[in-house]
Amino acid sequence: MKKSKVFIGLFVAVALVFTFGISQSMAADTIKVGIILPLTGKLAKFGEIENKSFLMALKEINAGGGVNGKKIELIVEDTTGKPDVGRSAIEKLITQDKVVMLGGGYSSSVTWATIAVAQQNKVPFLVNTGSADKITEQGWEYIFRLNPPVSEYPGAVGSFLKEVATDVKTVAILHENSLFGQSGSKTFEEQCEGFGLKVLMKEGYEAGAIDFKPLLMNVKSKEADMVYMISYIMDASLLMRQAKELNLNPKLFMGGAAGFTLPEFEKNAGKASEFVYSATLWTPSVPYPGAKAYYDKYVELYNEPTEYHGAEAYSAMYVIADTLKRAKSLDRKDVRNALADTNLITVFGPVKFISYDKMTNQNKLPTFLVQWIDGKLETVWPKTVSTKGYVYPTPKWSKR
Amino acid sequence: MEVFLQTLVAGVLKGGLYGLIGLGMSLIMGVMGIINLAHGQLMMVAMYVTFVLSHYLGIDPYISLFVSMPALFFLGVVIQKYTLNPLMEQDSILPENQVLMTVGIGMVLTEIARFIFTSDYKSVQTSYSDATFFLGEISFSIALVISFFIAVGLTLFMFWFLLKTDTGRSIRATAQDKDAALLMGVNSKRITVITFGLGSALVAAAGTVLMPIYYLFPDIGGSFTRNAFVITILGGLGSTVGAIFGGLTLGLAEAFGATYIGMAYDDMIGLLIFILVLLFLPGGFKRLTKI
Repeated sequence: MKKSKVFIGLFVAVALVFTFGISQSMAADTIKVGIILPLTGKLAKFGEIENKSFLMALKEINAGGGVNGKKIELIVEDTTGKPDVGRSAIEKLITQDKVVMLGGGYSSSVTWATIAVAQQNKVPFLVNTGSADKITEQGWEYIFRLNPPVSEYPGAVGSFLKEVATDVKTVAILHENSLFGQSGSKTFEEQCEGFGLKVLMKEGYEAGAIDFKPLLMNVKSKEADMVYMISYIMDASLLMRQAKELNLNPKLFMGGAAGFTLPEFEKNAGKASEFVYSATLWTPSVPYPGAKAYYDKYVELYNEPTEYHGAEAYSAMYVIADTLKRAKSLDRKDVRNALADTNLITVFGPVKFISYDKMTNQNKLPTFLVQWIDGKLETVWPKTVSTKGYVYPTPKWSKR
Repeated sequence: MEVFLQTLVAGVLKGGLYGLIGLGMSLIMGVMGIINLAHGQLMMVAMYVTFVLSHYLGIDPYISLFVSMPALFFLGVVIQKYTLNPLMEQDSILPENQVLMTVGIGMVLTEIARFIFTSDYKSVQTSYSDATFFLGEISFSIALVISFFIAVGLTLFMFWFLLKTDTGRSIRATAQDKDAALLMGVNSKRITVITFGLGSALVAAAGTVLMPIYYLFPDIGGSFTRNAFVITILGGLGSTVGAIFGGLTLGLAEAFGATYIGMAYDDMIGLLIFILVLLFLPGGFKRLTKI
């Protein structure tokens, strides 16, 4: 008993030394910005791409003289992809590290849990990936979003259906069951009417499942023209592999961004990834200055490809630096006002925060369609930015 | 009807694998009276072994069973001998602390895997990964069918081992009454070491045969630990026959739930059965059998 008390005492002492030691060692000539990302756990892959992009941009900014002579210091906290952990991470950043603003925010569930803390404490938070619509629908003046909300992901899908895939009349919607998938599938279902589509089924699944066959059997028996999937990476791969196993042949396999655009999708789904379409927010061929250069630099530095999540993070870092440069002081309120006045062209597109529909402080951007052709992710729609012609309708599995 | 049969097939095939996962945990539970909460993480290690063999040396996942099972047996032996047994000798430490130790071991294994392989998703692509054959309208994944038969084969072997060999009998004796077994001259410390090794080897087999159809990342262990735990409770703590029935039940329940209720409730259905069994059949399926 006594031993354990001594031990606990020691532990507390060590912990105190650590926290104070670290916070004091950070001198005042840097500007502290907090970033929350899932660096471990199921969503770690996305977090890693974003983290690397943040650091790449940070290095460039600090090498170029930083912000008004001061260097930016990023404090990256791991959310492990869980809302409760994300909440305590953001509380730590705000109260202990005293950051002037916040960035990051991957996965809607985690972002949703954290933005309330930021708003309460009046700390400006630039969300760059969490995409559930309601994140910017609260009228909270400290919450800004760089990326389009999930309801706008299928924008390019709509025009593609109208102009090319005119014979697609029915759709089956499959979505993962967290906030991202639920929010995305609900709005897509509503939009289907505008696209002239009849929704035959809409089903959620628990991410990380081994066997999607019961779900896909249902899709097969309904004979939908298009299968629209909102999935994180590995579910996306398994869905396509098992669709191939079941010989499921719709006219279109359409992914709703997220998992379907990562290089890992093709690596893990193999041949089953061929001809799968996906909505996406960014590709290296988009007509924004620096987009291709960012892609090339990333590949050179990390020796692996990047995609839209990375571009979001990279651009967010530049928006943050730009905001801090323009802010009257490093007071959180002044930083917030500077962020609201942002008008910057980034590799992810022009960034300007506006209010429309129910949203406030939301950046509005067009979306694109990509397709996996010969193992490469090609931009196919709209035609003005396409790198290769689209393949439609999707060939049957038996005829490939 | 077609949907029903396809669901049945999916449930049974998955159930066989679940049984194999649960079997190892049940065995350890029976002999040592502790839940091994690093079970899924041990499976993860075996999956990485399979991945490395396949990716760098081009060895077929099923052949790598001959590497991953002995490797994990050895790892299990080391864990039991050098981390769990020393805890048992300390009178001041409660035996429950062995369970805490397994949690710690699980975390260490996960972080080591992350350190070596990063958080990237890995998978093994084989020519039969998404190959199928059809019986009537029902599609059978070849890889899943092979996995199922390997799982059944290993389970049968395990039974033969437990019922017919000297070591097997000693394991059962220790599980039934440790003190009596000691008095009969069973070296119980050696038996615990062997049992932990066997349990690890079994879950290693499950991980290896799962590799061609599933994927791998360092945090994958947790969900399998949970599944194994549910199966072990369903089957009745420490019962090997029970583990198999527990596995099948969970597999079928998940499959039928997914088809007829909704795949979003996958986890809920499994855990609901778990609660029902605890309420109405405490002691699990073991109570319905004699072994």
